[in-house]
Amino acid sequence: MAMKIGTDHFKERVEHGINDSFMRGAVAGAQNSMGVRRQTATEELGNWEEWRSHGEEIRQHVLANLDYYLEQLSENVAKRGGHVFFAQTAEQANDYIKGVVTKKNAKKVVKAKSMVTEEISLNKTLEEAGCSVVETDLGEYILQVDDHDPPSHIVVPALHKNKEQIRDVFTKKLGYQKTEKPEELAWHAREMLRQEYLTADIGITGCNFAVAETGSFSLVTNEGNADLVTSLPKTQITVMGMERLVPTFEEMEVLVSLLTRSAVGQKLTSYITVLTGPREEHDVDGPEEFHLVIVDNGRSKILGGEFQSVLQCIRCAACINVCPVYRHVGGHSYGSIYSGPIGAVLSPLLGGYDEYKELPYASTLCGACTDVCPVKIPLHQLLHKHRQVIVEQEGKAPISEKLVMKAYGLGAASPMLYKLGTKIAPAAMNPFTVGDRISKGPGPLKAWTEIREFPAPNKERFRDWFKNREKGGKES
Amino acid sequence: MTGTIHNRETFLSQIASSLGRSRLSSGVTDPEWKHRPQDQVLQDATPDELVDILKTQCLKIHTSLVITDAKKLPETLHEVVANYGGGPIVTWKDERFSKWGLEPLMKKEWPSQKLEVYEWDHTKGAENIRQAEKANVGITISEMTLAESGTVVLFSDKDKGRTVSFLPATYIALVPKSTIVPRITQAARKLRELHHSGKQVASCVNFITGPSNSADIELNLVVGVHGPVKATYIVIDDL
Amino acid sequence: MKVTLFATCLVDLFQSSAGKATVELLERLGCEVDFPESQVCCGQPAFNSGYVKEAKVAMKSMIDTFLNAEYVVSPSGSCITMFHEYPHVFQGDPVWEPKAKKLAEKSYELTQFIVDVLKIEDVGARFEGKVTYHTSCHMTRLLGVKKAPMILLSNVKGLEFTELPGKEQCCGFGGTFAVKMAQISEQMVDEKVQHVEETGAEYLIGADAACLMNIGGRIERLGKPIKVLHIAEVLNSR
Repeated sequence: MAMKIGTDHFKERVEHGINDSFMRGAVAGAQNSMGVRRQTATEELGNWEEWRSHGEEIRQHVLANLDYYLEQLSENVAKRGGHVFFAQTAEQANDYIKGVVTKKNAKKVVKAKSMVTEEISLNKTLEEAGCSVVETDLGEYILQVDDHDPPSHIVVPALHKNKEQIRDVFTKKLGYQKTEKPEELAWHAREMLRQEYLTADIGITGCNFAVAETGSFSLVTNEGNADLVTSLPKTQITVMGMERLVPTFEEMEVLVSLLTRSAVGQKLTSYITVLTGPREEHDVDGPEEFHLVIVDNGRSKILGGEFQSVLQCIRCAACINVCPVYRHVGGHSYGSIYSGPIGAVLSPLLGGYDEYKELPYASTLCGACTDVCPVKIPLHQLLHKHRQVIVEQEGKAPISEKLVMKAYGLGAASPMLYKLGTKIAPAAMNPFTVGDRISKGPGPLKAWTEIREFPAPNKERFRDWFKNREKGGKES
Repeated sequence: MTGTIHNRETFLSQIASSLGRSRLSSGVTDPEWKHRPQDQVLQDATPDELVDILKTQCLKIHTSLVITDAKKLPETLHEVVANYGGGPIVTWKDERFSKWGLEPLMKKEWPSQKLEVYEWDHTKGAENIRQAEKANVGITISEMTLAESGTVVLFSDKDKGRTVSFLPATYIALVPKSTIVPRITQAARKLRELHHSGKQVASCVNFITGPSNSADIELNLVVGVHGPVKATYIVIDDL
Repeated sequence: MKVTLFATCLVDLFQSSAGKATVELLERLGCEVDFPESQVCCGQPAFNSGYVKEAKVAMKSMIDTFLNAEYVVSPSGSCITMFHEYPHVFQGDPVWEPKAKKLAEKSYELTQFIVDVLKIEDVGARFEGKVTYHTSCHMTRLLGVKKAPMILLSNVKGLEFTELPGKEQCCGFGGTFAVKMAQISEQMVDEKVQHVEETGAEYLIGADAACLMNIGGRIERLGKPIKVLHIAEVLNSR
């Protein structure tokens, strides 16, 4: 699966999302409960703003010195016997991983949830190479069993599915015979996946944070699936976006703390696993061979530019969990594996404006995302920046809008024109006005009045009232 | 054994060029951070207060916490194991077990009660995994214990298999009171100190906070997914 | 105290009652209010749509209009937030950046001005009715004015206040978003109206004409018996 999901146009996807009442109930419920959990977990620290500032300074420092830390990381991974491959493109990453799979003659790969492997379509590559790929995160597993339904949330990938749908999928595909109780469904997945871990040739993971100083990397889960993926198969491949690293363990712990509190409202998740190199001599579990694949895939184009701060992201989804637009349209509407505010900023950068030019407009710029971001990415400002680029550099704005804005520029420049325009407004709107309102507006007002009443312009503008009042004393 | 590095220079040069400067290979010193909120958390807590905090946190992470002392440890451990339905049991090979007087329990009492006990033995290779996979209880020792989050920290090595804490149906961590620190900050610092003192960081350092769980189905919490279904921390008063 | 009123285009054209209430309220609190005729729009519609060049024209005009004002006060958190954005917009411009900074420093949203500058928490208003209050996004999050309207409302006699569920959620206005993403905006405003209904309030109060126009327009279309008022109108009633 690539970053892009589905083939529908943006409006159709939104339409589809809005009409999916289960999904909307699930998303609203999730936002409400995750919102409270996140808020409790951040407020109990008492100085959350300072934590955010620290998170921000760490991420900014790493990005400013990225080549230095990546070099240090790779040296230290190699020192511990690991192999590092720097992949500038998705193809390079896939080719390298395919090479390892072929060399190992691997037939089965178990995977722990990783957004970057989704981004580069790794599963597809491996399956084409004749290797079966098993996702082990419960949510990802459900989606995989359901004919590769795309994820709709970066932390809770199957958020859009209800338990009855999951039961039906399990029954149809896995011969499941029990009820729709989450415990029973999860237990079934546990039993199926146990066998997969034990028989897999290769384990593939993403990376929450790599640690340059020691060549380590950390995985954050609640299920413990990443631990089994990295303990049982003989070969392990870890794929990381090139920006996902920190200088030392000390910064790692800060970002992990920010991540778990922001993502799921937990002080720490059940499993935080810090791995360094392959297993040591005489160790029984852990991989004999370890490969780290560091992926650029468009990130270096973001670096150094006005969107650089988006690379501070630690993939916690706090912005998604507060976004009022995501709330109503769901993850699939974004047409990208990266949904919500972070997706609306990142997808056009990685996937281009041709594919994702609507996303920056799928926001009211309400700022809720910016407010919760644990590393202080100014998300709503970046969405605004995208709009500016689309208008000024890409020339992709609709012509009608350009004309309106040109007129706006003229009107706003000239107080005379502005005054004239507002003075004739009531007369101009008269044909559409019934009483004090407009129910069927012309032109750009049409979209407004399909949903709401629009007020008729006041017969006496405020400025006229003020002027008259000044002339005639204080009484109006 | 040293690994390999491929395609690094082109990749890193691209980064440097995006950043509008020449390649940076050295000269970055430890940054001086403006903010350090992590140091303030529970900074003045006494060891007893840390135990209380740990205890409260365990309620939130579906984990039982039992406090005992060196004398009563065998009895306590036996009770917890019995509560979890007995064997088979898998443990690390660790001299601290005998130091804490657990050898009679593990090597004699349990076997005589037909409780199967398997001690990790790296010379037996994959047999270890088979034993861990069929075990009902896994027992390990916490090297550092984080009060704030209710986390035990495990370092892997040849005698301390990673899977002892993941594969069995239930999990018991022995927690010396002296290992309890305020939060993950202190653990991270210690790991860094170990590294600087020339010791190699364990290939797997695990921060375990209660049993495995998932909220992937309609955000309903299911405790016990891929790893253990239940967890108990036994705090040993060694101070 | 001399106060220069920035009425905003929506108030000027559609909600003059909020403008009148603002003037009367400020005068009652001892301010001398003037209204420079040359004021137009703050530039937000163009700016937020990405037309920064076009927006700058309006912004410059506004900066000049309020050049000599002591305090600029407006019954709109969103438009004042825009004024506070001006220094960023003109960053690096040797002429306009300093001017923009000066404007931002002396610009206040109405309730913020009353509480923070006039240091008045009880304006002596009386308003009988069950009300709820919509916290506008720009005013609360970006301008950071959270407490002032609450303090002032809590001292209005006769007013029965119920908190709005999901109050931090955007109403779905978002400028051109309301027409550009109309289908999404509809869902957002519908949930907002539903929350207002849940409070059982007779009046929805807000401090931003744009949000009120959006929520109020939907309330009217749905035929709900809820009246929409600008906070200035409530604070000005006795």
